[in-house]
Amino acid sequence: MLKEVNSVEFKELADKGLVLADFFSTTCGPCKMLGFVLKDVEKEFGDDLTILKVDFDQNKELTAEYSVAGYPTLILLKDGVEVKRLQGLQQKPMIVNMVKEAL
Amino acid sequence: MGVNYTLEKHLIDRQYEAEQAMLKEFEAGNYTIQNPLVKYNLYEISPLSAVVCFETEEETAVTITVFGKTKQADMSHTFPKAKKHVLPVLGLYSDYANKVEIRAYRGESNVITIDVPDVYEGKKVIHYMDTTPEYLQDNVILVSPAGEDLASAFDYAGDARWHMNVACVFDVKRLKNGNLIMGSSRLLKMPYYMSGLYEISPCGKIYKEFRVPGGYHHDEFEMEDGNLLCLTEDLESDTVEDMCILLDRNTGEILKTWDYKKFLDPKTVSHSGSWSEEDWFHNNAVWYDKNTNSLTFSGRHIDSMVNIDFETGELNWIIGDPAGWPQEMVDKYFFKPVGNNFGWQYEQHANVITPNGDVMCFDNHHYGCKQVDRDVKNIAAKDNYSRGVRYRINTKDMTIEQVWEYGKDKGAEFFSPYICNVEYYNEGHYMVHSGGIAYDQDGNPSEALGAFAKDMGGDLHSITVEVCDNKKKLEMDCPGNYYRAEKLKLYTDGINLELGKGQLLGEMGHTKEFDTDIPMESCGEMLPEIYNARIVEEVDRFTFFSRFEKGQLVMMLLEQGDEVHRYYISTTAVAYLAMCCGTFLDSDERNTKTSVNKTGLKGTYDVRVIVDDKKYETGVQIHC
Repeated sequence: MLKEVNSVEFKELADKGLVLADFFSTTCGPCKMLGFVLKDVEKEFGDDLTILKVDFDQNKELTAEYSVAGYPTLILLKDGVEVKRLQGLQQKPMIVNMVKEAL
Repeated sequence: MGVNYTLEKHLIDRQYEAEQAMLKEFEAGNYTIQNPLVKYNLYEISPLSAVVCFETEEETAVTITVFGKTKQADMSHTFPKAKKHVLPVLGLYSDYANKVEIRAYRGESNVITIDVPDVYEGKKVIHYMDTTPEYLQDNVILVSPAGEDLASAFDYAGDARWHMNVACVFDVKRLKNGNLIMGSSRLLKMPYYMSGLYEISPCGKIYKEFRVPGGYHHDEFEMEDGNLLCLTEDLESDTVEDMCILLDRNTGEILKTWDYKKFLDPKTVSHSGSWSEEDWFHNNAVWYDKNTNSLTFSGRHIDSMVNIDFETGELNWIIGDPAGWPQEMVDKYFFKPVGNNFGWQYEQHANVITPNGDVMCFDNHHYGCKQVDRDVKNIAAKDNYSRGVRYRINTKDMTIEQVWEYGKDKGAEFFSPYICNVEYYNEGHYMVHSGGIAYDQDGNPSEALGAFAKDMGGDLHSITVEVCDNKKKLEMDCPGNYYRAEKLKLYTDGINLELGKGQLLGEMGHTKEFDTDIPMESCGEMLPEIYNARIVEEVDRFTFFSRFEKGQLVMMLLEQGDEVHRYYISTTAVAYLAMCCGTFLDSDERNTKTSVNKTGLKGTYDVRVIVDDKKYETGVQIHC
């Protein structure tokens, strides 16, 4: 599953299995590119991974809670606990490997 | 209207054409000592040089002298016997009517005038040189670029006598055959990865470009047999500045590769203040030691100098503060300090192994502590210092002693958070080059690296000192930051100018592509002029220059039927933590520069560009 969520929806879903949070901005080129990459990643993992896109500028409390200083930032959560974090635009293999290690 | 396209000849080709034209003119004319053919800056890139051509009736040695502004500043060299003379003139002054004497051995002479324009265009390039002609003689102090100020060399009086007008950045060394070795002037990838190395004459003639698949950065080293160690990286890797290769001097072939991830685990190294996951080692120097058949690498981002066996690549020892390293590494590879007055180096540069096995470096002392201690001990620029330091190591009982230092007592006025070097001449005789000094706009020592400090209105300095038996023999202060300093004579006993075409050796690597497709059909329109796009094609690559607004989605595509190669272009300014060379930074963050090597590409490709929700044509085809 890949969907854009607000803070409330994020908290409902974040502690359920393997979740990849993408803190993005609509004003950021690399974030736009990462959006295409994550669509490919979603195809790879299907139901094993939930990808939640969080608008950095619209969810300040959430970004503060997760200490997200810039975008794009990817945070991989396993049952709500942070497993790994990647900053900046990433290629698909890097993200896939990170998720596989956490499966 | 399509994108502006230019086919640019390689410097080697342009230099060959200029040289051939000169030789043709020489052959066609009647040039003598009294009437020589003079070609100012024949090779384009060394504007304080010239070449003179003339014939003598008898085979005779000839002495060329560029008259100095004082007698002690004369630059002179005697060339071997010949009838046809094609001789480099080195050491010309900028913005000056230079008097140059051509004198045959026990024969006639002539003084010609070579007018040289102001190659610095009014810019001040030195504050002062404090030394004596007796000490420096006809040597010059050459400084290599770390920013917008390009390489120059200064005589005892502080006059520039050599300059390059292209950005050959990082280290410059003299080779055993008298040529210089330095980074090429072709940028491979931002912020400062170059296509390879130039072996070059001081008059600017490129004999060889050693192209390196992963690009060149920071340092190179000539082995006993003439082969070259070159610092590089794997362009396909997610990390940078963590590889070294050995290049065959004749063919450019890679003979040996050292990948630092094979002897260190990036996940367990102890971080310096400038560490990042990508630039985990930040290799800024390499040194081969014949006595121990080992290589020493300076890793700025682990505050350490790391020594490995040349043959096996196995780790021998690490010099650095052991805080934060795994205990088993500390027990096996690190040294225990002995003696008084000991201090570890932090974010050091330019390691040197002395003939007796001591280890020297420029200790930038940036942050002055390991990352694990940073919150409590991090030293601010105003309270910090940099120094040259010499350690004596005992690899049997793994102890280390500090036997010399210079610069600590100067405090912040000698503090360079980045770049710099030391040189060992003899026992007690050293150079310490603090080339990265920066002050903020209020005149306080700056926390920012040179390029960034200058952008914020700061003031840069580069101070080079030579000491002999703890007495200062030379001090030079230049405005701007300079990566390293090197003392040398412009002329050598070797071949000062060899005619013929230079060689393009080795090959560029495959440029990293972006896997993910942006599904989109061409809109059939040309890329709008607003993006200010142009493409420059060279023999082995092409570069796409453009200007986009922050936040735009941009990807360049090479398309040949179903074959597509994708190159993502970031429109977000990248925050570089280790800007050792800010020469290529653009003052307009919207400008982008994307180079693609032809390696791995075959055939004719259409260049198209995606900008947000449209795929545009450029009207340019690249032939590989």
